[in-house]
Amino acid sequence: MKEKLTTLDKALSPIVSGSSVMIGGSLLRRQPNAAVRQLIRNGVRDLTLFSWAGTTAVDLLAAADAIRRWEGIYVGMFNYGLAPNFRRAVESGRIEVRDFSETAMVARLRAAAQAMPFLPIRTLFGSDIEKVNPEQIRTFECPFTGEKLQAIAAAEPEFTIIHGYAGDRYGNVQWPVVRDTDDMDQPMAAGAKRLIVTVEKIVPHEEIKKQPSLTYIPGNWVEAIVEVPYGAHPAACDTLYDEDDAHLRDYIARSKTADGVKAYLDEFANTLPDHAAYLEKCGGLDALAALDVKGRA
Amino acid sequence: MATFTNNELITAYLSRQIRDDDLCFVGVGTNGRAFTLAVGMPLAAVRLAQMRHAPSAAVYWGNLLEPDLSVIPEHFTQDAFTQWQAAACPPDTGIKCDMLARRQFDVSFNSAAQLDRYGNMNITAIGDYRRPRVRLVGSLAQPEHFAFVRRPILLMDLDPRSFVEKVDFITSAGHLSGGNSRREAGLGEGGPSLVVTDKAVFDFAEDTREMRLKSLHPGVTKDEVLGLMSFRPLLPEAVPETATPTAEELDCIRNDIDPNRILLKV
Repeated sequence: MKEKLTTLDKALSPIVSGSSVMIGGSLLRRQPNAAVRQLIRNGVRDLTLFSWAGTTAVDLLAAADAIRRWEGIYVGMFNYGLAPNFRRAVESGRIEVRDFSETAMVARLRAAAQAMPFLPIRTLFGSDIEKVNPEQIRTFECPFTGEKLQAIAAAEPEFTIIHGYAGDRYGNVQWPVVRDTDDMDQPMAAGAKRLIVTVEKIVPHEEIKKQPSLTYIPGNWVEAIVEVPYGAHPAACDTLYDEDDAHLRDYIARSKTADGVKAYLDEFANTLPDHAAYLEKCGGLDALAALDVKGRA
Repeated sequence: MATFTNNELITAYLSRQIRDDDLCFVGVGTNGRAFTLAVGMPLAAVRLAQMRHAPSAAVYWGNLLEPDLSVIPEHFTQDAFTQWQAAACPPDTGIKCDMLARRQFDVSFNSAAQLDRYGNMNITAIGDYRRPRVRLVGSLAQPEHFAFVRRPILLMDLDPRSFVEKVDFITSAGHLSGGNSRREAGLGEGGPSLVVTDKAVFDFAEDTREMRLKSLHPGVTKDEVLGLMSFRPLLPEAVPETATPTAEELDCIRNDIDPNRILLKV
């Protein structure tokens, strides 16, 4: 097996301004925020960003003015309301959006995983989601029944970044037996071209191979794996730690203005050398342990 | 007559719309009043239906199929979702999407920033799509609910900014421009069936598919309702009062389902 373990800096260095990037996680869960802060430090711009239900990771990138176009099912802050920086950037015309409903986005991900240019759905007839997007949503006739169907173009980003629970140095990533499954991380990984995974913990390969059915991202698919404890902070990693309510409230308060959030980004990303410094800035591992949960598995 | 709150009235009314064996979709998000509308009252209503007349009614919540509604979490933080026991937790959300497309859902509970005369709804953008006045959250599975669920129920407070003649963006196609337009567009049976608000209940006329006043909550007048809408719904000659909760229903809600007033808080 090939060694895939590396640093955040090295893993993300191929992503440059203008790249297309899919990010994993859903709502306030497993947002790849450590990786996103590194992209912000790297000063990347003009990304075409794909997400499922994006929250902190999309909004941080929007705050850093790093997104040119976004495609996905949702961007918001879940129970904290609308995503303040994403919203400001879309309303000012700096981010172009294309919305996809859930079956449409699932079709895009599965098409990529099957090496198909599109998959059909029949969800979006009459919806303006179809009307504004003739480039990626087209009606065609079923060759068997003659029924009208909608072809949804495959999602084919150059890079996919997913934050996972635990993995080995070869890039095999496992999920716990009991977890929150409301996401599309595995289908995203299955269709990825260049897959970068961050995990809470690197564990010995001997641990992984005892329960191979828990490996949802095989190392075979992975280009780079990086250990980033609390890598989803201030969002949650289900079974390990909860969302950081105080930090999220502070972020949203400071996001009321573009200047306010620039100061936040300077404090928590731009002036820090790496993820270890971020953890220190957030009070260190001892303070962050207050967010830990026991889990059921 | 028993006294009851507006939320108890709505919850009991919703529960009576749920039939035995119904599979009901309930969303996960938001806080405050939006939580009560999207999550709190729907969960309480399905549980009440289970306790009263529909023991086999089930919920799909987040990606949990048949979570145990006898122990609804008291906190809606991530770990509370993760710990909630359920019959099934499919490996990813694509499974729920497949079930939607295969029309396995009977009821969904939906709310929107804008809803129009024909039940088209908008959760995407206010103003122009490319340069919106307010960018909203996107679409989630709301288009699927109106495309595939048998009886979607909208749960919204009456407000002229929400009940508009024409939505700025059709996220979910309801009855489109009425009549047969939904079928002609390529959609199957379905679309919004009921609109339950804090003041009144609406349905959609069988022929024109226009929104129609169905019942007024106790003490509410027609004029009060019309003053809270930016379009005039169909108004039948006689509009009955919304059926009120029974003492037994109130007892279940208050003592069993939501004793700490979390689901029906605001």
